Amino acid sequence: MSVRLFFATDVHGSEACWRKFINSGKHYDADVLILGGDMTGKAVVPIIDNGGGKYTFHMQDIRHNLDGADALALNQRAIRDHGYYPVVMTPEQRNEFTSDPDKVDELFLQQMRRTVEEWVAWADERLAGADLRCIVCPGNDDHSDIDELLATSSQIEVGEGNVVDLPEGHQLASSGWTNPTPWDTPREEDEPALKARIEGIVAQATVSPERLILGLHAPPFDTQLDVAPTIEWESLTVQGQDVAHVGSTAVREVIEQVQPILSLHGHIHESRAAVRIGRTLAVNPGSSYVEGTLSGCIIELDGKKKLKRYRLTMG
Amino acid sequence: MATNAAPPEQTLFVRKASGLVKGWSSGDGFRYSFFSVNLFLAIWSFAYATFIPGGSLFWAIVITAAFIVLEIIVYAGLISVMPRAGGDYVWMTRIFNSPIGFVLAAGGWWFILWLWTPIYADMGVQTTIKPIFRILGLNGSADWMGTRTGVFVAALVVIAIASTLVAVGMKAYAKFQKWAMWIGLAGVIVAGILLLVTSGPSFQKKYNAAADKYYGSHGTLDLTKYEADATGAFKYDAAGALIPAKGQTYANAFEATQAIGKGTGMPTSTFSGGFSWATLTLIPFMLFWMAWPNWGATLYGEVRGAKDFRKNIYQMLGGLMVPTLISLAFLALMTWKVGYQTFMGTMSAFWWGISPFGGDYISPTAMISWIVDNAAFQIVLIAAISLLLFGWFGTLFLSSTRMIFASAFDRILPERAAKVTSAGVPTVALLLMTIPSIIMAALYAYTPIETATGVTWVKLFTYDATLVIVVMFLGSGLAFMIMPWRAKSIWQSSSLPKSGIAGIPWMSVIAFGYCAFLVFNLVLFLKDAIYGVNNAKSMIFMGILYLLGIVIWIVAWAVRKRQGMALETVAKEIPVE
Repeated sequence: MSVRLFFATDVHGSEACWRKFINSGKHYDADVLILGGDMTGKAVVPIIDNGGGKYTFHMQDIRHNLDGADALALNQRAIRDHGYYPVVMTPEQRNEFTSDPDKVDELFLQQMRRTVEEWVAWADERLAGADLRCIVCPGNDDHSDIDELLATSSQIEVGEGNVVDLPEGHQLASSGWTNPTPWDTPREEDEPALKARIEGIVAQATVSPERLILGLHAPPFDTQLDVAPTIEWESLTVQGQDVAHVGSTAVREVIEQVQPILSLHGHIHESRAAVRIGRTLAVNPGSSYVEGTLSGCIIELDGKKKLKRYRLTMG
Repeated sequence: MATNAAPPEQTLFVRKASGLVKGWSSGDGFRYSFFSVNLFLAIWSFAYATFIPGGSLFWAIVITAAFIVLEIIVYAGLISVMPRAGGDYVWMTRIFNSPIGFVLAAGGWWFILWLWTPIYADMGVQTTIKPIFRILGLNGSADWMGTRTGVFVAALVVIAIASTLVAVGMKAYAKFQKWAMWIGLAGVIVAGILLLVTSGPSFQKKYNAAADKYYGSHGTLDLTKYEADATGAFKYDAAGALIPAKGQTYANAFEATQAIGKGTGMPTSTFSGGFSWATLTLIPFMLFWMAWPNWGATLYGEVRGAKDFRKNIYQMLGGLMVPTLISLAFLALMTWKVGYQTFMGTMSAFWWGISPFGGDYISPTAMISWIVDNAAFQIVLIAAISLLLFGWFGTLFLSSTRMIFASAFDRILPERAAKVTSAGVPTVALLLMTIPSIIMAALYAYTPIETATGVTWVKLFTYDATLVIVVMFLGSGLAFMIMPWRAKSIWQSSSLPKSGIAGIPWMSVIAFGYCAFLVFNLVLFLKDAIYGVNNAKSMIFMGILYLLGIVIWIVAWAVRKRQGMALETVAKEIPVE
């Protein structure tokens, strides 16, 4: 029996992408859904309550004036689909957040937790009774408490640090940790530590490399999967058209040593590609979460020792 | 968790997370567009304007630029909504479907670029290599470069340069491009100043001196090839061919060239013709150089800041306006200092094979360089301005490889089409460009001669290279027009202005205007033989390209179906609810 996997990654708070991910099993006739990390959003959009049912917010430099609860709900959903967190607040509250970064931190944590809870509830409802496995592994942009929230799900299995059994004797070893980034994100560490972490997880696997799948958020270094614009770390500015390989040497070394049948990655949204590293097919489907499109990859394993075929998707 | 510093009236709170950067340099976007709306393509297209002497080149450029602004808005919108490597291919497959997207984009970004290769080579030879060889006295080499083998070898060199630059990567090339642009622009400024400070009589003197020195037009020139009437206009026979003359002589090369301009009906000013129908019919020729501020469309998936609609507009607008204004200023200066009839006469002379320069094309850059009677200066000026062309060679195959990658990821092409070596060289994609380009270069150079002046039948349909891309642009324009209805969720989640008139978003209205402009051009291309594309050979050539696209898609569809993959669902949207 062959096994069909659907892999997506980096939805970054986009509700549309999360819902599409959960619905993708039926759409692509998949047996297993795998989300490769970075579930949480990067920005909070303050919707200013001007009183009298009138609201104002800015999105991508465009000012929006809303009148009434229906318009508010519609735009909140649009903001969430975009991957941002809409928060209704008074002008005074906005000013408080503006002057107090710690309060903004609290706001982010609150929004991230609430959103993941809602997503989990929605997924549990949708996936109940479906003959479909769903594995989610957080990424470097996700705080550690996300794992606990995911673990409360009746349908979702948490990938981080675990080896999960898949149909037909395959196993998935996952980690959302990455090599250092210019943003000092929650799950990043230097290459030796990352290698030790990944090797520790892979050591838990009990299957041969032909049945092992790695789900590592960081792409392998010096491949088509890890090409990103060169960034000046101090100013966080892009350096012209220059690009650089920003993937992990640890991830590459582990792939080269272990030679799993498949290695799933994300992290670098613009490096949508699939490459062979020895016997391993390494895939980064990229991410287009901002426009509400779910970039993904369908992979079919023949149930024996071979990867039958794969296809990158946009859904 | 730290957060960004907060200015008053903050409209967005961001946390530290991957990818939050300040965007790519606007200068990079501008430079890419500026090189695409290439001044050398402009010069080359001016030569084609001699075929419609009643039109005003100046106003044709102005009108074309106005409509290309619509293109910029449409493409800035598409890029900001879906900033993906693959550009037109991705947009059309997503908004229409897989077969339409593939066939149109493969035609425009892949197959037709095979033809652009020898065109680029021909331009490089005629505008730069031959004039420099003449100055150096390497007349044998210059003559050889004009032969079929010379053009073919030049095309092979272009293929080698373009392939090498794709292979070594864009990083070093981007740096070279920066220098190429500034040196090229410096050359253009020097040329402008020279034209400005030179008097008409002085220019004529230098022109004749260079004609004598480099082309052997010693004093009196015997222009005996074609017959002119009492007004100086050449006579044509019933079949429309020029009638051989019994013999006319002119005092010098300038007068002879002026006579050719007059004989072929060129007006005395670039403004003559105004907004006439003849001027409008010049627009398809202008597309050859002005339609490309969006040339980076296939690459925007790889750059940050591409989602910024307004920034995309500014970059492309700058890339369109700077060369447009330079070309308009150039034409005005030429009319003022040289005389438009003489300037266009050099182009006519080339096409009609009656050049007082031994059949050579006289590039405006060479013409201006002659103002300074110093061979080293002339070579440096021609070479400096030519960097605007050579700085662009490297991107010839770049967009094609992205389109090939995108269709390989969608499984229309086999996986190996997207294969890259450990050094990052897309070997198969490059082979898919280079091998057909070599074949096309051979056809361009060695197919039978179609005109009395030695134009081969492939060279005759040079404008197929524009037409096929225009057809693809039309597809993308239509996709953008119907996006609010056909791809609702993408439209709604975009930052594009949603306002409109009578329920139709302004974006769709603009796209309609753009599409109407493209259709106007396509009708002219297909209706009028003057563009060289509506002949049987050209139609067969384009038909083969589209047939190739259709066959590839059908074969891929059948193979994938057997493998249990539905190719048509590649871009089908997953339900949200």
